[in-house]
Amino acid sequence: MRFILQISLCFLLVFQVTLAEAKEKLLDIQEVTSESGITAWLVEDRTLPIISLKFSFIGAGSALDPEDKQGLARLVSNTIDEGAGNYDSQNFQKTLGDNNISLGFSSGRDSFGGSLMTLSKHKTLAFDLLRLALNEPRFDAEPMERMRAANLTRVRSALSDPNWKAARLLNDIAFAGHPYAMNSGGTLTSLQNITVEDLKNFTKTKLARNSLRIGVTGDITAENLKTVLDQIFGALPEKVTLPAVKDLDVQNGGEIVLYEQDIPQTIIQIMQPGIGRKHPDYYTGMIMNFILGGSGFGSRLTEEIREKRGLTYGIHSSFYDMEHLQALSVSTSTKNESVGEMLGLIDQEWRKMKDAPVTADELKDAKSYLIGSLPLSLSSTGKISGILLSLQLDDLPLDYLDSRAGKINAVSAKDIQTFTKELLTPDKLTIIMVGKPEGVTPTKIVDTLPNVE
Amino acid sequence: MKVFRLCLILMLLSAPAAYAQGTAQEKTFNAESFTLENGMRAVVIQNHRVPVVTHMVWYGVGAADEAPGQSGIAHFVEHLMFKGTDTVPPGEFSKRVRALGGNDNAFTAQDITAYFQSISVDHLETVMIMEADRMRNLAFPPDDIDSERLVVLEERRQRTENNPTGYFFEQMRTALFPNHPYGNPVVGWLHEMEALTHKNVSDFYKKWYAPNNAILVVSGDITAAQIKPLAEKTYGVISVQETPERNWTSVPPLLANTRLVMYHPSIRQPLIQRLYRVPSTIQDKEISLALEVLTSIMGDGASSRFYKSLVVEQKIATSAGFRYSGTAMSDAVLRISATPTADTELETVEAAIDDELRTLVKEGVTSQELIDAKTRLIDAAVFARDSLSGPAMIFGYGLITGGTMDDIEYWPRDIEAVTIEQINTAARQFLDPDNSGTRPHVTGYILPPEEKEEGAVE
Repeated sequence: MRFILQISLCFLLVFQVTLAEAKEKLLDIQEVTSESGITAWLVEDRTLPIISLKFSFIGAGSALDPEDKQGLARLVSNTIDEGAGNYDSQNFQKTLGDNNISLGFSSGRDSFGGSLMTLSKHKTLAFDLLRLALNEPRFDAEPMERMRAANLTRVRSALSDPNWKAARLLNDIAFAGHPYAMNSGGTLTSLQNITVEDLKNFTKTKLARNSLRIGVTGDITAENLKTVLDQIFGALPEKVTLPAVKDLDVQNGGEIVLYEQDIPQTIIQIMQPGIGRKHPDYYTGMIMNFILGGSGFGSRLTEEIREKRGLTYGIHSSFYDMEHLQALSVSTSTKNESVGEMLGLIDQEWRKMKDAPVTADELKDAKSYLIGSLPLSLSSTGKISGILLSLQLDDLPLDYLDSRAGKINAVSAKDIQTFTKELLTPDKLTIIMVGKPEGVTPTKIVDTLPNVE
Repeated sequence: MKVFRLCLILMLLSAPAAYAQGTAQEKTFNAESFTLENGMRAVVIQNHRVPVVTHMVWYGVGAADEAPGQSGIAHFVEHLMFKGTDTVPPGEFSKRVRALGGNDNAFTAQDITAYFQSISVDHLETVMIMEADRMRNLAFPPDDIDSERLVVLEERRQRTENNPTGYFFEQMRTALFPNHPYGNPVVGWLHEMEALTHKNVSDFYKKWYAPNNAILVVSGDITAAQIKPLAEKTYGVISVQETPERNWTSVPPLLANTRLVMYHPSIRQPLIQRLYRVPSTIQDKEISLALEVLTSIMGDGASSRFYKSLVVEQKIATSAGFRYSGTAMSDAVLRISATPTADTELETVEAAIDDELRTLVKEGVTSQELIDAKTRLIDAAVFARDSLSGPAMIFGYGLITGGTMDDIEYWPRDIEAVTIEQINTAARQFLDPDNSGTRPHVTGYILPPEEKEEGAVE
């Protein structure tokens, strides 16, 4: 009994503290602009002798890969740090390794970017290696072939993973007719079509300063960063114009698509239209999703399907926020015998969320978590620079983090009800299954996975 | 609530302990520690970047402590720790943590079980009260045991039964540790998991969950002086309870190399993996440190020996790995793996691995390789401190498996002291392909279904 009392007391305290803290400045973000006009967001932090720099070129992602060269952006990201300037592949990689410099590039559907992490004492070398990779990548035949081979084995290895298959199929069905339906990691055929010329052409024509966003955290001053920005990025072209990609809604609503495989557990992916960060109801959606299935434990989907019935090890819902498509998705798995029951329960929760308001407790707990957990995402150098970059990619203002709590607190149960009535479409979900499900009749069975071979 | 794959934890731990710039003689974390009257140890690692903490309780019990026929019970109990006490209803624990803006989870491995929350430092006391409560007062409601058994069975399907490589690696570990609990999967064998009873789980819990068999680790915006009174009034009031000896630590010798070959219809990409049983840090610290440096030389990055030879020069593989972590109470595992290129047989890759090992055993490592590896390891250590939960993981896992604070704090100094002779001796002792001695290996091939018969017809 005493225990319970203590807890409720704490709950009250917590809430007040959380609200009070939200008014303080969470991060001291500086906007730094170099002499040549390159801008980065910086949080100076001398906790450790470490610097993290993350950057992204908007629009230069795999959505622009030619259909017969799917995987191009990915292959560029794998090869761009395999030799540059006077360093051949082995020298470049050994110099990074021996100096503990982590440099990596990655391609998304909508952007191409990279991440640099270094000890302060090696920063000059680290920044120079990044400059070389961006401006003078060699794309020698040897590392290019090595990376091609690695991607081919990656695709073949993924074929033993039913989760990967379900994700592949979901892209194909839900994004049908759009570049997002392609395999951003490449197909066994398309990877063979990509040439060294294609890689060189990619960096020449797609990476420019007008689409560049940069986040920096750690042991570096604003003054120093100004010089560094010009050193690394100053020689890139001022501007490129990239082909436009059209917007898309989730396709094949109401379809239940099965890829049959003799495994004991069926993988289930569900998608319907959603909203993104630029939508006026973004915070309403964030809270709704937290209550529906975003929070893991405590969410309605986890309570009904895992906690009460033991039907799954995990069920999660999330918004899928791309430049040209916004969706709401659910990902889960259950033994083949339970698939019908599982889909029935998801349908029930979808309708409940659409038809009835969330409770006051649900709303209060969701707000408390979404506001109170923010500092947990600021607990390392790399996490902070990642947030600085993502704020810019989403066109958010410098003081966004400080205004966030107020916007979350402003959402009411009625707002959520109005929102879900309009958004949720339980009769038009796009459902993908991989396995041997029972208790459900697919509308379509596919026996080959598109964009793999 | 995951069964942390052992290798995942081990990777985390082999990411070296943090090390401030300066000399390798300095302490890395300057962690504080104290012991409560009931024997529960506590470690505090200060990190004042943001006003949050990671709070962990590590228990000296894991899958290796399960009675024969009851595999999976340690992990099942971990799940049931979220199913309520006399004062906290089933499922409430995580919900309360969420409502306070925190995240929580738990994991089980062969040697350990651990529970953690990351949360604002203002709520540390609340989670300590709840964590202390479930150390002795679990309720085990029968309905929740039944539904949670279904959950862990789904977890096994997801991790293992649905995944041919997961299945295969499980088989390989069983072959590597015959007649030893490390040969059982942490999640449990399916038929044994199905048979676990209410009494099995509650007996296991009562036997092992006690303050004197636990270590509290807190990392974040707090000091030992601030935590001590909180620890005294939460964990400190729980009475001592004798826990059993953990007497499973010796493993019968392997007397022959073992080879496993699995053909599976959903495999398109063949893979080779080889496992060796080698000393853990608590079994032999000198050898263990030498193997850590050797691992960096053989398997760390694109200029490591294995990658350079198999992938860059010979072009017979697209990846090549060499991994070792010494954090285990019984024998540790050293793992070599490679993925062949499209037109390469696994036998060819295995022969190349043996050639590399032969060169290593005959010629040893070079002094330049040693210098470069030490610099990499010691310098990299500073990154380990750039995290809230990382240092808590390192201390919790290290101490609960029998290591000391100094093993962790002075890891860079110990790495600095490793000699070429120690590395070469360890290589000869454990990795000589022409003389397996008392340390044979288990080698596994995983392949698509055989096409030999069709080939034979033509």
